[in-house]
Amino acid sequence: MSIIERVRRTISGPESSGDPLLDELRAALSEDRVKIDGAQRSLLGKDASVFDGGNSGPICYPTTTDEVVAIMKIAESHDRAVVPRGAGTGLAGGAIPLGAPVVIAVTKMNQILEIDEDNGIAWVEPGVINLDLTRHLTPLGYHFAPDPSSQQVCTIGGNVANNSGGPHCLAYGVTNSHVVALEVVTASGDVLMLGGLDAEPDGYDLRGVFVGSEGTLGITTKVAVRLTRNRPAVRTLLLSFSNTRDAANTVSGVVAAGIVPAAMEVMDQRITVAVENYVNAGYPTDAGAVLLAEVDGPEAGIDIDAERIRQIGLDNNATDVRLAGSEEERAALWKGRKTAFGAVAQIAPDYYLHDTVVPRSKLADVLDEIYEIADRHDVLVMNVFHAGDGNLHPLLIFDGREPGVLDRIHAAGGDIITASLDAGGVLSGEHGIGVEKQKYMDRLFTPDDLDHQNRLRRAFDPVCRANPGKVLPMGHSCADIQQLRSVPAEVWG
Amino acid sequence: MDLKLDADDLNTCVQCGLCLPHCPTFRVTGDESMSPRGRIHLMREVQDNNAPLTDEVLESFETCVQCRGCEPACPSSVPYGYLMEQTRETLADAGHMTPTWQKLAFKPLANPTMLQAGSSALAVAQRLKLVPKRLGISEELPIRRKPLKATGEDVYFFTGCVMDAWQRDVHAAGMRVLEAAGIGSIPTNELAPCCGALHAHAGLADDTRNLAGTMMANLDPDKPILVDSAGCGAAMKDYGHLLGTEAAKAFSARVFDIQEYLADHLEALPTVQPLDLRVAVQDPCHLRHVQRAHQATRTVLAPHVRELVELDDDGLCCGAGGAYSVLQPDLSGDIRDRKVAAIDRVTPDAVASANPGCSMHLGAAGVPTIHPMELIDRALNA
Amino acid sequence: MTAVLYTDDAVLLDFAADVGSEGAVAIEGARTRWGLGGPLEESARLLAAPSGIVEYVPEEMIVTVRAGTTVADLHAELAERGQWTALPERGGTVGGAVAVGQNDFRKPARGELRSAVLQVRYVSSEGKIVSGGGPTVKNVSGFDIPRLITGSLGTLGCIAEVILRTNPIPAVERWFRADGADPFALQRVLLDPGAILWDGTSTTIQLAGHGVDVEADIALLADHGQFAEVEAPAAPTGHRWSMTPAELRNLPTAGLDAFIAEVGVGIVHASSPQPKPPLSASVQLVHERMKAEFDPTNRLNPGRVVGVR
Repeated sequence: MSIIERVRRTISGPESSGDPLLDELRAALSEDRVKIDGAQRSLLGKDASVFDGGNSGPICYPTTTDEVVAIMKIAESHDRAVVPRGAGTGLAGGAIPLGAPVVIAVTKMNQILEIDEDNGIAWVEPGVINLDLTRHLTPLGYHFAPDPSSQQVCTIGGNVANNSGGPHCLAYGVTNSHVVALEVVTASGDVLMLGGLDAEPDGYDLRGVFVGSEGTLGITTKVAVRLTRNRPAVRTLLLSFSNTRDAANTVSGVVAAGIVPAAMEVMDQRITVAVENYVNAGYPTDAGAVLLAEVDGPEAGIDIDAERIRQIGLDNNATDVRLAGSEEERAALWKGRKTAFGAVAQIAPDYYLHDTVVPRSKLADVLDEIYEIADRHDVLVMNVFHAGDGNLHPLLIFDGREPGVLDRIHAAGGDIITASLDAGGVLSGEHGIGVEKQKYMDRLFTPDDLDHQNRLRRAFDPVCRANPGKVLPMGHSCADIQQLRSVPAEVWG
Repeated sequence: MDLKLDADDLNTCVQCGLCLPHCPTFRVTGDESMSPRGRIHLMREVQDNNAPLTDEVLESFETCVQCRGCEPACPSSVPYGYLMEQTRETLADAGHMTPTWQKLAFKPLANPTMLQAGSSALAVAQRLKLVPKRLGISEELPIRRKPLKATGEDVYFFTGCVMDAWQRDVHAAGMRVLEAAGIGSIPTNELAPCCGALHAHAGLADDTRNLAGTMMANLDPDKPILVDSAGCGAAMKDYGHLLGTEAAKAFSARVFDIQEYLADHLEALPTVQPLDLRVAVQDPCHLRHVQRAHQATRTVLAPHVRELVELDDDGLCCGAGGAYSVLQPDLSGDIRDRKVAAIDRVTPDAVASANPGCSMHLGAAGVPTIHPMELIDRALNA
Repeated sequence: MTAVLYTDDAVLLDFAADVGSEGAVAIEGARTRWGLGGPLEESARLLAAPSGIVEYVPEEMIVTVRAGTTVADLHAELAERGQWTALPERGGTVGGAVAVGQNDFRKPARGELRSAVLQVRYVSSEGKIVSGGGPTVKNVSGFDIPRLITGSLGTLGCIAEVILRTNPIPAVERWFRADGADPFALQRVLLDPGAILWDGTSTTIQLAGHGVDVEADIALLADHGQFAEVEAPAAPTGHRWSMTPAELRNLPTAGLDAFIAEVGVGIVHASSPQPKPPLSASVQLVHERMKAEFDPTNRLNPGRVVGVR
């Protein structure tokens, strides 16, 4: 803004934009916290997935619950949908705007409000970054357990919306187990306090159903997260195998033995090489697959489970078992695992990261099938996954500039989903449905099942204004985005 | 418009977003158009989809501190710094950014006489209370300076422009420390008047190329060149890329940050009583993210102070950014507030910073900032 | 492709036919928590849910079980493979436990019931069999119907079958008691106590895990009181209070005659019912809409209201 313009606005106040929605939003927040520039709206058309929602509507940066309520009411009076957004690291297109909705970015609501050790919780705003929270808790001896690969950037609000997981959810559970209370604002502007700090809050478990609802029930404005005590001892094992089948069999062997490690992660050779190029953590680039297994707990018994895992690995033809000798070594190994997806850009500029869950005893078979599917569609696949949960993350690597490649990628993806469902699995372990897997929902659920999910959604948002067009497949009222597409062409250029 | 960005470089970004928290402007604004991922998206929109250069797009590019904190965080190794420098060069050439006054303002940097004159004028102005505090020139500038004299012929000691004019004491301390380690140095003075870093950041890369050429022609090609300003060191280590010649690459290979060089000669320093200070290390971005030589600061300081403490902010930028603190005072101040809070959390007696821009910027906020060489010099002479 | 998703399990289909689509109906388990939610309308037909373990896959640590199965029968079967579930052991049925949604009094050791229900099959108000969730231990495919149904007291659907997560039974489980030991201090000292029960005077602690870890914890106990090993206590009875963990500190002055508190959890077993404020108006509205969506004719467990004690 030029100095003259700044002076002019100081004297005369903001000029009407000619768009009542925009004017009202700016009056409710402030002019600089409602953005409308075309470049910015195209930027928010995407998250970290391959999906593009087109230009968003006005982008709002509220700082208080009251401002969120005001945005909801203004959007309602203009009959516009709303889409919440955290750091934009979602992988299923859950935060992309369909039909130019009002975007509510929570990145300015980023305060850690209170640490309540007596109740074992912390109250935080939704824009707090996952890893920032854990770092803040570290001196007190706690952490926030969900640790998705994007934890250094993703927000707690996003974790709530997606019921995020991460490697260490194997032992500790996903986000739903780590959120005890939520303040949310529905699309009609009602403020709800869901759950509570007491042991068994009254009523339907609305907190439980809100977590993982991908922004379709409303927007989170305050979260009470559980503090997880840091464990005094940890052992991190790196097991090498000549193939992924042996690694997968080791994982099901560990589960069958009744051991619940803190984490069990498998990477195949292709991804291990890419990761090692980036982190130099000492991952064996000649191994067909590696298994990163971690146990934690009291000092006295920590080596019992570590030794049992080592033995199960050796029984399944592990070629090498290494125990991380220092915290630095452990940190480097985990850094490699958590940056695996980005590291593949060394190989090709684009990737499509899948997310399905299969029974752990079927891991080896489904993996074989995934490699065959990739060959059949002439695409490159890498596998890096939360093996302990049976949560597969096939990573399809490609260069989007190659004509026709996306068709092959989507075809291969569809076959991977089919293979996972045929093995008794489910559509998504942690990325959510978003716009990515709506069309597969009827492979997992009957029309009656989906009808009941739609009823749940309507109980919060009868007119389907919160993040419409997501999760439920077409044909269910809240999924019908036809009318959303009919934004007048002249609105917001 | 064609920003003249390399298509492959631009395509390396997979939009994973892991850079976001490492970007100081995203951290303080929460606005994705002020993040590396956002800026790369806008570069693509402009270059590939002919998106208009609106005020918001230009603001997004202009507000980048060019700290390059996103680069080590990027698993795809996107050469973000080069993309941003090229973007600015193209836009400056086309008259979209870097106004004429800024171009003129950088001219004297290459001219020691003009800079000395300007600096003396500034010193006088300071005494007349005419200099805004936010410029970070907190201590009174000397109106006259003693010239630095060679202490031997083992290495060059790069003196540069602004730093030589405003912080010559740091150079003197560095040269004394080297001397104590048995390394004689030649101050470059007018042989190498300016590294051109500020010009490159402003999109005036041709000026940088000229300055690099002058420096390379003037300096004996066998001697190492030591630099006590992280920003200058980073720029000089990049001449190989900027000029693309074998001579430039060889030159860049001879450039060392002074801490980096001293870390390899530490055993030559006498053992002394450490200073009774708790010192927080503030890593200048161009030492940590660009040169990636920041560990050396700890190596050389450890024997010379009672205690070294680390900040908990992942090396996030302090907001100085060369001329950034002058060009974007609001953002720069907000970024500095975060850094100051991180410093306050570890309650140090002093903060060691190996870059003049950072120390002036933090000094203006009342943080007791000192160059690592000055600390070592004091310990050696205690 | 879609059609195969509909179950052809004759037992479930019979149950759905029994529930039908008209007339008030309620599912009767073992009546261990029958009074919860208020009195049932007398017109309601009483039905029993089908029973039996459908499939147990110990290697996957999941079990598919029909709602009418008793928790005791289920746990007896699982124990043979060294596993159990988070369902409370107090004489009831699986369906009853899920409908009520309360945790075992050894919650830290047993885990949270609401996280253990991976999939739920129920008969809807319209008499249709509906499924939510899935058979894997991790799943974010669609809305979390299992969490909605768990603790809904049968007011949204008649629970027919669930898939539960199982957990390994720890190698060692031992109980210790001392008078005068500070349970709150112990809760901070011990890393993973299986349960800390406190009646205002004596503190009863369960230690569970590897033998060496339990031994290490026993050594810690010595610093906090004269602990003696005791038999495992029976599940506490009485009225159930839901409090915050911090509020338990004030129990001795709260005017209760007698209580057993689950320290670190917040549940208190007391002789009188807990006075509770009503739900907020905005939350109440969502409850009413939810009930109307799932049971528009108000025929499922009529009279019962979730939250009424």
